[in-house]
Amino acid sequence: MITLEFYDPSGRLEARQPHAPRLAGLAGKRIGFVSNEQWQAFRMLPLLKALLERDFAGIEVLPVNTFPQGNALIGNEETAQEVKRSGVDAVIIGNAA
Amino acid sequence: MKNAVSGLGLAPDAAMVTFPIEMFLPGSDITPVEARKAEFYEGLTHWRSEFAADGNGGSALVSARGATFEDALGRANDLMLARQWGDGLPVWPATRERVGWILAGTSLPREHALGTFPPRGGVATVEICAIALAMAGGRPEYLPVLVAAVEAFLDPAAGSEQLQAASGSAFPVVIVNGPIGQQIRLNSGFGCLGPDPQRPAGASIGRALRLLQQNVGGARPGVGTMANYGGLRYTNVVFAEDEENLPTGWPPHGTERHGFARGTNSISLAFANGATNIRRRGAKKETPEEDALQGMHRMADFMRVPNLAGLAGYEHGTPGILMIPGVVAQTMVGLGWTKASIREFLWEHSRIPAEHLRRAGGYAWIEIDASKVTRESAALDPWPITSAPDNFILIVAGGGHPTNSYWLQGYSPGVIGREMRLPGDFARLVAKAERDLYGGEGGRGG
Repeated sequence: MITLEFYDPSGRLEARQPHAPRLAGLAGKRIGFVSNEQWQAFRMLPLLKALLERDFAGIEVLPVNTFPQGNALIGNEETAQEVKRSGVDAVIIGNAA
Repeated sequence: MKNAVSGLGLAPDAAMVTFPIEMFLPGSDITPVEARKAEFYEGLTHWRSEFAADGNGGSALVSARGATFEDALGRANDLMLARQWGDGLPVWPATRERVGWILAGTSLPREHALGTFPPRGGVATVEICAIALAMAGGRPEYLPVLVAAVEAFLDPAAGSEQLQAASGSAFPVVIVNGPIGQQIRLNSGFGCLGPDPQRPAGASIGRALRLLQQNVGGARPGVGTMANYGGLRYTNVVFAEDEENLPTGWPPHGTERHGFARGTNSISLAFANGATNIRRRGAKKETPEEDALQGMHRMADFMRVPNLAGLAGYEHGTPGILMIPGVVAQTMVGLGWTKASIREFLWEHSRIPAEHLRRAGGYAWIEIDASKVTRESAALDPWPITSAPDNFILIVAGGGHPTNSYWLQGYSPGVIGREMRLPGDFARLVAKAERDLYGGEGGRGG
C-alpha cells in the first residue's frame, strides 16, 4: 500500500475577541438595531421591534434609525462608540444576504 | 454567513437567524420573522459559542492510501474535494517534502503570520501559502510573488473583507514589476492572461491565491462567497508588465502608482469583476492618427456604461485596468500621446450623461456610497466613472500585435502595492527552475 500524507490547507482559526455576553432575559431591557438598510430591513426590523415590545414587559426597543445606517457606516468605530454610549443592553444587526 | 464574524476575530459560530433569499426581495412575505421570533430571542439571551480554537500549532496532516501511487493520488484528490479543499481540477497533494521545497522560496519563518483571510478569518501563515502553492503546482521561486500578493490582499485598504464575500464576483489582479517577472517566467506577452506551458508561473500563483481565498478565507461558492458567477477565479489574474516594451519615458506601473524604484520587484493588487477584449486597430485606410483616435474612442465607449462597478474604487481605487500591447503604446507615443493624455481622454470620453445614469437607476447607488467624494459626484453631468484620470491603470502587456486591447473592469476600493522579499539564494532557485523545466531533462532532481 502507498500512503500519501499531506497538509490540511485550511489553516487555523483564532478568536481574538469574545462575543458580547448574552442577557438573562429581555423583560425591562433596552435593545437597539444596527441596520444596513438593505434587504427589506426597513420592513423586517420594525416588525421585530413590535414583536419584542409585545412579548416582553417593560422592554424598550429603540427605533431602527436611532444609530447610523447603511453598509458604509455600521461597521465603523464611531457607530460602535455611539451604540455603547447609548447604554443599550443588546443590539440586533440586520440584514445580511 | 458565519464567516462574516470570524473574519473580524470573533468566534465563527455567531447567533444568527437565517431565511431563504426570497424573504429579502422587494415585496416579500416577511411573516416568517414572526413564526421564528423565538430564535431571535434565544440569540439575545441563552445562545453560547461552541467554538474551540485550533491552537497555535502548524497545519495538520491527513493521509490517503492506495494500492499504487496513482491510486493514492486519486484518493488524495477525492479526499480534497470531499473536504472542499480543491477547485475541481487535479491538485498536487501538499506533502511535507513538497511544502518544504516550496519554502526555500522565502527567508521568512514558516509560522510567520501575514494576517487573517476574510471572511472566515483563517490565519495566513507563510506555511499555509506554501501549502496552497504546492497544491497549485507551484515552485519555490513563485513564493515571493504569492506572499507579496497575500500581504496586499489582506491590506484593509484593498477591500478584500467585503469583496471576498460579496455577490459581485470580484477576483484579484496581480501585476508584477521588476526583473522577477522574466526570471520566474511570468507572462507579459502573447496570451499573458491564459495558459502558457512556457510561462506557467501566473497560473500557479493565481490558483494558489484562490485556494487561500477558499480554504483559509472560507470563500466557498454560496457559503463564504455569494458571487453570482465567479468568473476568472480558477487562477485569478497574475501577469507581469512588459517592461521591455515600455515607451521611452513611461515608468513601470509599480513606480508610477506606488513609488517603487525602477527595477524593484513588486506587485500591485487590484480587484476586477469583468474582462473583455476591445478591438483597437482600424480595418481600412485610416491614417495613423485616425487609427489611434478611433481605438481610443472604442475603448472609452466601452467604459461608458452605467453598471457602476467602478463605484467601489471611485475615490481611491480604480475603474479598471487597461492593457495595451507595447507596439501600440510606442506607436501612440510617436503620434504625440502620453500616458497622461491617454488617461485624460478615457476619463473625459467615458463620462455618462445624467439621463442615461438616471434611467438605469444609477443615482441610488451613488447616493448610498460611503465616500463623500463619490456622493458629491452625482452633481456632475456627464458623470465621470471615476474621480480622477489617474485612477485608470494603464499597463503595457500583451503580445506584439496592434489589433486588441484588454479591459479588466475594476471593482476595487484600493490598489495596493508591495515590494517582494527574495531569499538570498534566489538566483540558484531560478537556475534550477530553468534546468528542471526547460533543460530537457524534466523532474526536479539535484
